Amino acid sequence: MSEHIDEAVTCDAVQEDLAAIALGIASGRRRAEVLRHVEHCPRCSAELEQLSIISDTLLQLAPEVEPPIGFELRLAARLRESAGPREVSHWRRASVWALAAVLIVVVGLGVGSLIGTGHRNPPTPAVSSTLTSAALIVHGSRVGEAIVSAGNPSWMYMSIDRATWSGAVTCQVVLADGHVETVGRFELTGGYGAWGAPLWAAARDVRSARLVTAGGVVLATARFATPA
Amino acid sequence: MTSDDDSVSDDALLSSIALGDEQAGLVFVRRYQRRLFGLALGIVNDAGDAEDVAQEAFLRIFRHAAVFDPRRGAVSSWALTITRNLAIDALRLRRGVPTNPDDRVFLELTSTERQPESAAIASHDVARARSALAQLPLDQRRAVLLAALYGRTAVQIAESESIPLGTAKSRIRLGMAKLRTAIVNEEAL
Repeated sequence: MSEHIDEAVTCDAVQEDLAAIALGIASGRRRAEVLRHVEHCPRCSAELEQLSIISDTLLQLAPEVEPPIGFELRLAARLRESAGPREVSHWRRASVWALAAVLIVVVGLGVGSLIGTGHRNPPTPAVSSTLTSAALIVHGSRVGEAIVSAGNPSWMYMSIDRATWSGAVTCQVVLADGHVETVGRFELTGGYGAWGAPLWAAARDVRSARLVTAGGVVLATARFATPA
Repeated sequence: MTSDDDSVSDDALLSSIALGDEQAGLVFVRRYQRRLFGLALGIVNDAGDAEDVAQEAFLRIFRHAAVFDPRRGAVSSWALTITRNLAIDALRLRRGVPTNPDDRVFLELTSTERQPESAAIASHDVARARSALAQLPLDQRRAVLLAALYGRTAVQIAESESIPLGTAKSRIRLGMAKLRTAIVNEEAL
């Protein structure tokens, strides 16, 4: 049995600590000792996994509290600061700045309505309503998600998390007039991958998105219920 | 938030954030700001510090969105764990004394009557955990929630509850064991 794996630390001895480790409150040294045992003990490993799931679920019970007015505005400012001196790639820096800019615009609207009406929850501006998603379906089963983000340019995103195939795939969108646009190619590893690229077409014209093989075989399709 | 935004999964939002979609970032902030701020406030017990913690948590989430692996757990657990750890660090840095919530908070948190304030947490697992927690004796419930939500160690719980360290450890261990039994048994049915 697993007790023989490490004579210094037995299953009985680690029982006391598994809950503390799952809850993230064990001391570093003891945690390391116990995890060395758990690594080679299927029984304790399974128990720790179950306790960790419970710990994660308990965290979801944290009470929700409305942050102070201006929270998003101050977050936008911090995003700007954090984007400055850091050695980030050009696209990442651009994305942080873009997020900050949108947050400022939206928060401006939100704070304006807050001041105007005294409501705690400002109405969500239209700018946040331009994400449209649809499940990527294969034979009736969901394998991922396709998202169209309207803008100038609009963007297409795909997130695949349970495909049964791997390798290079092509993303195409079918437009309202029936025209098919190839958006780009990306790799799936172990049935998993995430990818995005700008669209030439307007988001509102996209009716469906699909993944196809190099040979043109359609692997999965996402149909948008309403014009994106 | 529109129904379209609500329908986008957390995983997909993070993927979009990693690819530079500012609108996905906005949706994510609006979806999670009350939860992250609420958790931080419960730990640091100061609105200003809690805001710092929640904002730092968002910065880290955005910074690491590209490396998040959905196979290793839910986005919500990841985001809340980052927030909890930052709040505990903040409390330690200012040498703050953790203040335990009174019993009312624990009864409220575990009330099966309680309606979640956002649809994002209205999951079956959460309802089941709340129900299982409500079955625990109050002292075990307090110990488990103080550890899980507020990051209190057994030593801190022993001090704040004025109980021996061994008793604090037992309450945490027994409480978690009962939750595990209740939830695993329910899954097996």
